[in-house]
Amino acid sequence: MTASVQYYCPCLSATPHPPPSNLASSSYSFHPLHSLFFCEECDAVRCNRCVLVEVSGYYCPNCLFEVPSASVRAEKNRCARNCFMCPNCQNTLSVVASDPPDTEDSRSSPIVISTVGEPPFFLYCNHCRWDSAEVGITFEKPTGLAAQLQKFEDMAPESLEFERLKEYYEPQLPAASSALHRSVSGVPNFNGLSRSRSSREKGHRTKKEEESVYSARVEAGSSKGLASGSGGDADVDFLKHLETVSEVAALEQRWVNSWTTSLHTSDLKPFRIPLHSKKSKRCPSCRHILIKPEQKAQSVKYKIKLVAANYLPAINVTLPHAQAAIEMIKRSSTMNRQNAAAIVEEHSSAAAGNMLAGKTYPFHLAFTNPLYDPIQVRLHVQRAVPASDPAEKTRRPPFAVTLPSSAFTVNAYTETWGLEEEDDDDMFGGEDDEFDAARSGQKDAKARGRNVAIIERRANITVIGGEVMIAKEAKGNVKFNMLVTYTYRSDDPEPTDPSLSPSKSKGSKAPEIKTFSFYTVVELGKIVPREEPKPEAD
Amino acid sequence: MENPVYYSRAEYIETDTGNKVSRRATIAGPQNIILGGKTIIASGAIIRGDLRRTGPGHAVVISLGRYCLIGEGCVMRPPYKTYRGNFNYYPMKIGDHVHIGANSIVEAATIGNYVEIGKNCIIGKFTIIKDCAKIADNTVVPPNTVVPAMALFSGSPGRFVEDLPESTSEMIEAQTKGYYARFQPLPTER
Repeated sequence: MTASVQYYCPCLSATPHPPPSNLASSSYSFHPLHSLFFCEECDAVRCNRCVLVEVSGYYCPNCLFEVPSASVRAEKNRCARNCFMCPNCQNTLSVVASDPPDTEDSRSSPIVISTVGEPPFFLYCNHCRWDSAEVGITFEKPTGLAAQLQKFEDMAPESLEFERLKEYYEPQLPAASSALHRSVSGVPNFNGLSRSRSSREKGHRTKKEEESVYSARVEAGSSKGLASGSGGDADVDFLKHLETVSEVAALEQRWVNSWTTSLHTSDLKPFRIPLHSKKSKRCPSCRHILIKPEQKAQSVKYKIKLVAANYLPAINVTLPHAQAAIEMIKRSSTMNRQNAAAIVEEHSSAAAGNMLAGKTYPFHLAFTNPLYDPIQVRLHVQRAVPASDPAEKTRRPPFAVTLPSSAFTVNAYTETWGLEEEDDDDMFGGEDDEFDAARSGQKDAKARGRNVAIIERRANITVIGGEVMIAKEAKGNVKFNMLVTYTYRSDDPEPTDPSLSPSKSKGSKAPEIKTFSFYTVVELGKIVPREEPKPEAD
Repeated sequence: MENPVYYSRAEYIETDTGNKVSRRATIAGPQNIILGGKTIIASGAIIRGDLRRTGPGHAVVISLGRYCLIGEGCVMRPPYKTYRGNFNYYPMKIGDHVHIGANSIVEAATIGNYVEIGKNCIIGKFTIIKDCAKIADNTVVPPNTVVPAMALFSGSPGRFVEDLPESTSEMIEAQTKGYYARFQPLPTER
């Protein structure tokens, strides 16, 4: 396990404060930064759990054909071209021709044979070698196979029954749904499944059909006419005489079907490949679009893309002691063998981010500013809920985290940072005031530890040091919630004088300075009890 | 910040465009291979540029874009098939920002930009991998598979697992550029 920082989305709770990080359920509220969105209207972070998702287009994942939404329903959400899925391993199938008959003239014209091939054609899986001839599906022509297969699908008794049910209930739907619409607010009024039927016809049939009783094609409960797998005597018989487990189709192979299907592996039919969709995403509260993909199915560009990574500073956490341990392991590979094994043994625990109880560890947080303006960042560790009950006190986190208490600057992002790498020494020229601030931060940190300070500043990245003190009897993970507050100048295109900004942001509240804060959870590693400094071999 | 990845200066050849090719990699038919620049070929990799299309003239067999990484022990081999009775090799085209993990075997026809392929994968013949796709470690992608854009594939046979986040291209770009920046010669030979 490595150290990580995840960002909080408040969509699951009523309060803006995240749940304590030691609760297992809190992990559902925290997400990696790159999976989050940012709504500019609401000035809030949004996650995949709370955004409204709309389908903006369908495509086949195999032939990449963009299916117009009108034909999606008719083709039952599956590809209507020559894309099929192996029922055995879910790989895509390829159409192959039968072997040509061994005659002399086939030799003389190999070109004709290899382009068209000999009927019958069948579907073949490149991975598990399943072929459709096994289940008796062969084709005379290598084209239009999907239409032929869909005919099979539509002929299934369950499918016919469903069509019949739909036909029976469709005229009654508008009345029922408008009644529902009246009594339950929020349920949209239903306006007909099939647009082909005229509304007038619907209107006058409704009354009559309400009285008639639905008569099923197949009597409910009887397994007659339905495929096996519905629990009849035939299935019992089949299972009694089972010889190998692979004769029974696995659940994975059966549940992709719309209906209950046969238990026999030998009855599995090829599927047309289900379509995939491109999605656009909206903010749940203001309905503004956060993600809008381009029309083209395979394009990875977006017309609108408001992701949190472009608004919030990225935080990277590193553990110097774990890195040192990794370095030792690497170096040991060049040493003699006996020594190396001992060193690897000694350091593998630390390299995995494990921490000994009762010790103090430094850690580094690197802040990367994505904005074109410098930001002032201030950090707070979220304390546990104040314990009113003395018994509660024992349950406070078994470690104490120290972070620099003063605000620090992260420089603005400019396009040129990416070009030159390390040669930004002149950057530090006019920033003596900044460093004084950093030094004073160091001074007041001295009481707690020399590691709590600004460690490094280059380009749009500032690295700060923190320290975690682990109690003697601690166990579990070092994991804490951290509130990050940053202020930035929104409208000023000119870079503010960095030597002035710290005092300014503290003192006067200029209208163009905006503040945004968000919660993160920082996970540093596992606490190893003191009694056994080396991890058990597992 | 993350630690640099050091290599010994003697092992790697650096070209004018910033490609870093290990002397321990097997590059067959180098005249048929194009490297886009800032691409790393790690030690033990095998790139078969010699398996060219039959016929006269110059043929590009394998082309790699910028900021690619061919991991240790990878095998890159152009796909082949018998079409109309003729056996032939077909070119392999790989886009920018493509990382291929250690010990993977790649026989794909096309790999798009920002693609990440894990360790110990087998990418079957004529596979087409679109932009921003990801192949998890230990995946076997059967021949002729199409991996759509922004998809994560894993398992054997490789199957669609989930859609990747919208910011994948930026993430992969930062990752590949970061890796290239961190991949530097040992400052002093110890």
